[in-house]
Amino acid sequence: MNTGLSTGLAHSERPAGQEPLRAAHSPWAAAYEAAGIKAALPPLGHQNLGQLVRERCRTFAQRDPGRSAFHCVMPNGMNGSLSFAQVDEASDAFAAYLLQGLGLQKGDRVAVQLPNSLGYPVAAFGVFKAGCVLVNTNPLYTEREMVHQFNDAQVKALVVVDMFAQRLPAVLQQTGVQHVVVADVTAFFPAVPKALVRAVQKVWSRTLPPVTVPHIRLAQALALGRDALRANAQTLDLSGPSLQDLAVLQYTGGTTGVSKGAMLTHANLLHNVQQMLAMGGTHMEEGRECVLTALPLYHVFAFTANLLGFLSIGARNVLVPSPRPVQNLQRAIENNPITWMTGVNTLYNALLNEEWFLAYPPAHLKAAIAGGTALHAAVADRWREVTGAPIAEGYGLTETSPVVSFNPLTGPVRNKGIGIPTPGTDVRLVDEAGQPVLFGQPGEIQVRGPQVMQGYWNQPAETASSFDGPWLRTGDVAVMDTEGFMRIVDRKKDMVIVSGFNVYPNEVEDVIAQMPAVLEVAVIGVPDEAVGEAVQAYVVPNPGHESALDEQAVIAHCRRQLTAYKVPRRVLLRSELPKTPIGKVLRRELRTQALQQAQSPR
Amino acid sequence: MVTEFETKLLGLMMMVIMLGMGASLTWRDFMIAFRKPKGVIVGLVCQYGIMPALGFALAQTLGLPPAIAMGLILMGCMPGGTTSNIFTYFSKGALALSIMMTSVSTLVALGMVPATLAFYSSLGGYSGDYTVPASNVAQVLVVLLVPTLIGMVLRKVNPNVGATLELLGGLLGVFVILFLIVTWIPRNYQLLLDTSPAVYAGAIGLGLVGMVLGYSLARLLRQDSNRSRTIGLETGIQNGPLAVLIVTLSITGPQQQEVLLIPVLYSLFIVVNSSWVTAWFRRLADREAAARDKAKVGVLAQTP
Repeated sequence: MNTGLSTGLAHSERPAGQEPLRAAHSPWAAAYEAAGIKAALPPLGHQNLGQLVRERCRTFAQRDPGRSAFHCVMPNGMNGSLSFAQVDEASDAFAAYLLQGLGLQKGDRVAVQLPNSLGYPVAAFGVFKAGCVLVNTNPLYTEREMVHQFNDAQVKALVVVDMFAQRLPAVLQQTGVQHVVVADVTAFFPAVPKALVRAVQKVWSRTLPPVTVPHIRLAQALALGRDALRANAQTLDLSGPSLQDLAVLQYTGGTTGVSKGAMLTHANLLHNVQQMLAMGGTHMEEGRECVLTALPLYHVFAFTANLLGFLSIGARNVLVPSPRPVQNLQRAIENNPITWMTGVNTLYNALLNEEWFLAYPPAHLKAAIAGGTALHAAVADRWREVTGAPIAEGYGLTETSPVVSFNPLTGPVRNKGIGIPTPGTDVRLVDEAGQPVLFGQPGEIQVRGPQVMQGYWNQPAETASSFDGPWLRTGDVAVMDTEGFMRIVDRKKDMVIVSGFNVYPNEVEDVIAQMPAVLEVAVIGVPDEAVGEAVQAYVVPNPGHESALDEQAVIAHCRRQLTAYKVPRRVLLRSELPKTPIGKVLRRELRTQALQQAQSPR
Repeated sequence: MVTEFETKLLGLMMMVIMLGMGASLTWRDFMIAFRKPKGVIVGLVCQYGIMPALGFALAQTLGLPPAIAMGLILMGCMPGGTTSNIFTYFSKGALALSIMMTSVSTLVALGMVPATLAFYSSLGGYSGDYTVPASNVAQVLVVLLVPTLIGMVLRKVNPNVGATLELLGGLLGVFVILFLIVTWIPRNYQLLLDTSPAVYAGAIGLGLVGMVLGYSLARLLRQDSNRSRTIGLETGIQNGPLAVLIVTLSITGPQQQEVLLIPVLYSLFIVVNSSWVTAWFRRLADREAAARDKAKVGVLAQTP
């Protein structure tokens, strides 16, 4: 496979005095101390995620019984809450229902297909307490995607939001799903707001199709679970499985075609929670934080960081069912003293273009972290300026539960980087031949650590090819400086090769994003007869900006900042860009469109 | 023509509507709107510049009798109706803008309605039992400001109660008009038959011409087409029930009937007209969205 990486490396010469970077080196170790990060992870205090939830909930319930653990806010400000004691009790009941009511066995797969809502933590924690395996599923999945995922994971029970119930008959027919639990976005809301939201959904926006398959409502399931708990308090075992047992099947790989389930164990996730807390700990206080969860919990970033990480420090978790349009976040931010938030570049960028956010940025914000895709320097700088709080970019993959590296929140501002490996994580950068590269030279990131998955579910070939011994191949190309700080140059497969020169779309995007008239940007390579591949930029103009934007202005701006071969050959103006559910821009889709257009006659 | 019981009920409903309107906004929303006041200013110009002048002009050109003309002018001077927010929602317009325009026009109504009313009454030389004293209007508005402020406080204290009141107020706005239709038409159908086409023209024209003028002004001030449609709807839709309430509280005897005629007719027809305008606007909004989707595939920049 010649991705052009070797082309770049072949041209490079090794300057004297630079030693090849070796894994054992850990050049980032010194950075921990400088940033106030504990280099050694404490021993895992829990046997599994169910125990973590139970122990943490009981601790914080005792400390402050009135404090809510989860708080869900609708766009109009209507809200509902669950206290720590309630989450613990309800997830016990759900676990009892899964084991006793449905007769599930430990290790059985349960798919949870819910938007951010109070039903989500109850269902997910219940699955862990029952010792079953959670299969996180995007509520917006099509029938085809649901069928593939449920069959691949051999899902036995499904917890699904009622808004998409019309897909159930066809899906159940083609899969082995035996039990359906239906939840709604307003689960655990007070009666009047619940009734009103549901009335609006039903009559006004018509988003409540009738459920035509045999099912049980979440509330009923919990009632049955409570009965079972009362009747069989002695025999029901809700202690959960052991550390090495599977906790989550997290599906990924939409970019390579067929989606596959990354096998994450309880140990993987418990470790990654500790790793994430180690990096953020400088800005966290147990029992005092309030985190905004705008990213979907079914995605691994919010799942580990927000759901598990912030629960374990007793934070109040503010759940927003849908962050799009970004206006939906207004009441959640206004009515809650947000101290932390997680997000992606597009979310932060969108917030920074909202009038209400600029007028009243969250006053209590301590820190924000970004992942999923590159955080543009222009967005990061503006965020710090507007909120007065640090924002740090990190890096991770579904396969690593997900956190691999993060920038420390303290110390000098470092834009355009993914920081240092989290405590307990080993990272090496290797060339095409699998040999470690020099400091400052691009190489593929490979990861070793307690958060690395066990492999892909039922995919031995895929699993084998994604590992090099104990090292997980990420497919991402980065450079590392002598202090151990890394910077992603790009996805291997996103790299554009112009006349043999490597162009990394991230770099070009970052330059274009500096233009105030630009709202969003994506850069891809398209086939070109003259130079092999040509750089093509897609730009969404900022509607709030006075002057109009045209191709020439963008190109002129790039000419000032970039070497000639990196300057886009064409700039196309768009009103929006295709994105994944969490807001990553889909370059692949733009490439497909571009190819189709090149083929069709104009 | 309107019984005392109905007047009281109407007053009570207006209280709830205003409570709901107050609950639809936070203090921050106002502060934000005034940071970039262009939208708000356009709204105020439409509401208190265009509409009262339009009411007056229609009354003059249609040659309406003084008492009926008074009703039309009063109707033109009213702040924006809360029902406009519902129509804006259905037409896929700029909801936040609509809510803001309604609220700001209602809050400044205390000064603007008596002022515009007094100005156009004297301009037309209207005087007599049938005139609505500006001080009465101010009194009613002061009373209605109280629930508005309570609504804002409730929203702050408990968002669940606030959002519930907001929905309730919006629905009640439509209900009040239906209530008027159901109770008033059967008892007054003879009056409706006797009413001259000129009066109908005034009652219907105020809303429709108002929409056209509001839209045109917004376009002139370089608002985009969606915001302009919202401003158009907002301009044309006045607070009809408020006008009815003010007349019933200010004027008694046979004159009341005549002054009330246009506010009541306006309220009836604005629901009908706004409905089809909304359906039309919704189609336009959908078409624009489709065009945007198409543009995504098309290439705007030239190929070098």
